[in-house]
Amino acid sequence: MRLFEFEGIKLFRQEGIPVPDYAIAENPQEARQKAEAMGLPVVVKAQVLMGGRGLAGGVQTAEYPDQVEEVCRSMLGSSIKGLPVSRAMIAKKVNVVREFYAGITLDTYNGTPVAILSSAGGVSIEEIARTHPEKVVSRQVSITDGLLLSEAEQMARQVGLVSDGLSRVASTLHTLYNVFRKYDALIAEINPLVQTSQGDYLALDAKVEIDDSSLFRHPELNTLLEERTPNLLEREGRQIGVTYVDLDGDIGIIASGAGLGMATMDVISQRLRPANFLETGGAITEELLYKVMHLVLQKKGLKALFINLYGGINPIHEGAKGIARYIQEYKVGIPIVAKALGNRQEETWEILEEAGVKVVTEVATEKGIEELIRLLEAES
Amino acid sequence: LSILLNKKTRVLVQGITGRVGRAQTQWMLDYGTNIVAGVTPGRGGEEVEAIPVYNTVAEAVAKQAAEASVFFVPAPLVKEAAFDTIEAGIQLIVIVTEHIPVHDVMELRSYAQNRPVRILGPTSPGIITPGEAKMGIMPGNMFSPGRIGVISRSGTLSYEISIDLTAAGFGQSTTVGMGADPVAFTSMTELLELFEDDSDTDLIVIVGEVGGTQEENAAEFISRGMTKPVVAYIAGQNAPEGKRMGHAGAIIQGDKGTPQSKIAALQQAGVPMAKNPLEVVELVHRYL
Repeated sequence: MRLFEFEGIKLFRQEGIPVPDYAIAENPQEARQKAEAMGLPVVVKAQVLMGGRGLAGGVQTAEYPDQVEEVCRSMLGSSIKGLPVSRAMIAKKVNVVREFYAGITLDTYNGTPVAILSSAGGVSIEEIARTHPEKVVSRQVSITDGLLLSEAEQMARQVGLVSDGLSRVASTLHTLYNVFRKYDALIAEINPLVQTSQGDYLALDAKVEIDDSSLFRHPELNTLLEERTPNLLEREGRQIGVTYVDLDGDIGIIASGAGLGMATMDVISQRLRPANFLETGGAITEELLYKVMHLVLQKKGLKALFINLYGGINPIHEGAKGIARYIQEYKVGIPIVAKALGNRQEETWEILEEAGVKVVTEVATEKGIEELIRLLEAES
Repeated sequence: LSILLNKKTRVLVQGITGRVGRAQTQWMLDYGTNIVAGVTPGRGGEEVEAIPVYNTVAEAVAKQAAEASVFFVPAPLVKEAAFDTIEAGIQLIVIVTEHIPVHDVMELRSYAQNRPVRILGPTSPGIITPGEAKMGIMPGNMFSPGRIGVISRSGTLSYEISIDLTAAGFGQSTTVGMGADPVAFTSMTELLELFEDDSDTDLIVIVGEVGGTQEENAAEFISRGMTKPVVAYIAGQNAPEGKRMGHAGAIIQGDKGTPQSKIAALQQAGVPMAKNPLEVVELVHRYL
């Protein structure tokens, strides 16, 4: 779960990383009042869960109260890269002397956290690493020992910091690591971390992503997960406990398993265009498949549906009952091809055929898709 | 023979008294797995399918000489349970549980690193040595004994490819599900090494998917250290960027985890790539 910038900044401040004065506004008047209370000039930043907003006009400086209102009027209610902007962060503008990058992320292959520090900031770390590799230091961190302050200091020294700057940047990196651990983050990044003309070192941005699987132990963060899924079908998928990804084709997919679902997408894409990816997980029940049918068939312009199931934890005929019930209740008219293998598969095939589904008893997904294409061609 | 698991392996089931643990225990026994004990804290003294249940792994090891363990333990409890399992001297752990926090996985992985234990998963469908034993949730009837090693990041897709292989007359020495979480306990490269050294495996099939760098690292090992042929399929060749495709690790972020990078790396290592699952069988035919 990606946090909004203001949520990340709030976490940083709470844990002891210095940040500029800031406030959140949902309308231009509120923004104006808060900017005046804080003191101008301010930077107005659109709150969207997407990188690259600066280039899209999502970060603007305002010198006067009128300007704050004006900027917010065009920003709030607009959209950036397709995501609606409903909140703006108003942050006190600071005079930047130097920019740094500080981040903690995962080395997934080696299974350790990695701390990264760079004396160049402001652009993406991938870009800094490409253009100025000499300005980037990274270090694998032992998950049991954590990032020691002495190690953070060594990294700060390696990017050319000395005295006060060294100790402040090292302390921020050290605290950032603690934020990463405490909140089960997949990434915790400050870009840029700046030195101001007054000699402060402040986090001007926050990119934090929390591991969804850890939310059971972070109830304070768990509340907004659904709200963060702007696509309504993907949100409904989350609510019923499956993964739905909206795509731009017209052939619906229901698959039991992520790999199988992706392979089904691959095979369909060779001749047709998938409307979605849907992965049920292992515990197929009648109720779940009924809801899944409802979800997938909502999409406008759907031409056909392909169902690809393997029984795992539960026998597969339970799921078939849910599919059949949905088809009968809603009188689904588009062609449906199903391949379902596992415990009690013969019973499953009977239930599906009775509901008008074309059942493929061969194993290969490719054979099922060939059948689907035959049905579509017969229709047209 | 096979890798990691055979019909003699003395298997423990952790979480045996839960609904899923109970049902899976029955299916594993039906398949011939040598299950000797179960563990659920607080339920010691009970029996499941005539298998004795103990409170701790240490007890199961002392009384029944258990040497491998399959986990049907709820995600929030896996870390602590696995510490105990490793401490008790179990050599192979198969973690079927999904949605384990990545930080827990990192902690466990680090703990296991210098100890004599191998862990598969998380989110592993399990491991099966056809005709001998299985630890995990895969339906046994979809596999048959033979000389092909299968390494898969996905569960149900490995079933489909194993059935396709079986139908073409290619049985499997062992099929291993490594799971598709961001951090895996055992890498694809380590599994390739085991198959390379296994005298009963002639060829290895890799079933990869988008996300992470397992396949890229495996490719490097293949060009450096494999003498046996390898063929591969990567699922998710049409996956959009920035969307998690069901598995926590199956996500393309920028230029990381793309199918193109995996396919290019494996091809460079001389691995023929299937465009779809069924093509794996054709590629295997070229060698055998």
